[in-house]
Amino acid sequence: MAFWESVGRRVIRMLTAFTATIHFAGKVFLRIFQRKTYSSAMREVLVNQIYFTSVEILPALLLVAIVFGSLLIGIVFTLLKDFGLTGFIGHVLMGLIVTELSPLLTVLLITLRSGSAINTEMAVMKVSREISALETFRIDVIDYLVAPRIISGMISIALLSSLFSIVLLASGLLFSWLIFEMSLDVYTTILLNSTNFSDIFIALVKCAVYGFFITLIPIRFGLRASHELTSVPIVVSQGMVNVFAAILIIEVLSLLTKLL
Amino acid sequence: MDVPLISNQDVYRNITLIKEYHENMPRGQAQRLAVEYLERLGLNDIAHRRNPALNPEERFCGMLLRAAMVKDARILIDRPFRIIPHLKDIQFIMTALKKIDDLYVSCHIYEYQWMKEKYGDL
Repeated sequence: MAFWESVGRRVIRMLTAFTATIHFAGKVFLRIFQRKTYSSAMREVLVNQIYFTSVEILPALLLVAIVFGSLLIGIVFTLLKDFGLTGFIGHVLMGLIVTELSPLLTVLLITLRSGSAINTEMAVMKVSREISALETFRIDVIDYLVAPRIISGMISIALLSSLFSIVLLASGLLFSWLIFEMSLDVYTTILLNSTNFSDIFIALVKCAVYGFFITLIPIRFGLRASHELTSVPIVVSQGMVNVFAAILIIEVLSLLTKLL
Repeated sequence: MDVPLISNQDVYRNITLIKEYHENMPRGQAQRLAVEYLERLGLNDIAHRRNPALNPEERFCGMLLRAAMVKDARILIDRPFRIIPHLKDIQFIMTALKKIDDLYVSCHIYEYQWMKEKYGDL
């Protein structure tokens, strides 16, 4: 009996936390579309956040895209050649690399760098009572702190994922020439023939959803810190675990969308 | 009540925040205003410093100017000697308040009775 009680308590706690997160997400989502959210102060934070999230990560992202992406494409192309599946190059590039792999690798990089930073920043601001200071001056935390970070996350993931895809497609050009002796014209034609715009649209929507949740969850957990310094590592680790769970859920949902 | 400066922002941005958020004042205009007010207190060199790099007097003046940015500001200073513990008397605070007296409607200082001697005839 005690076992089932404990399971029930855990399920109720999880459902309550999930509902609260969705409620918070809805509140933030609505605020993004309100004009009054975009004050001069908020716009300044938004520009800074886009710089921190999209620009500062560029060297690391390009390095990962060139090294890891090129190796991966080289291996995939070699396997396609070995199994006599050369005709599927375009579908593999567009269906797997551009719409699945690029958003996933980009979101993992951004989560590791910016998600953890945002989570810690919010927790430290809460501990040092800077959040209370903002509230004292009637500065809405959602308008000033949450919305710019979330919008920046959505824009950054979409842009960086596109950049990641471009680098991978360029690697694809190199390897298609090395392995299949394919010319630029043939490569471009194969890519265009395999391009399904609904897939690209789904990939962009997925990037926006990733961007929304990988910033919202760290913010939410960061704001749950108490006024004790010891609560910082606890909320950061909880936040990051939940972000990775959210990434998995979004990825599964997007794969289901493709299958159905 | 603690209302610390936001530590991941420069002093001038802490001061301009109120105007930029509540009055939607453009960044450049708000920045010029903040620098002008800091100059009045002889602290224009701290404009681009952050909270941890400030000494207690500079921190107090940053907080004071930020509070004065509120429209029709009524400033309440809660135990000022907690913010600047080494001050011998209230003179520094009164001088700072005098220099920006056009920026606020009223100012009240709350302090424990046993600190009375630090306030002299005030």
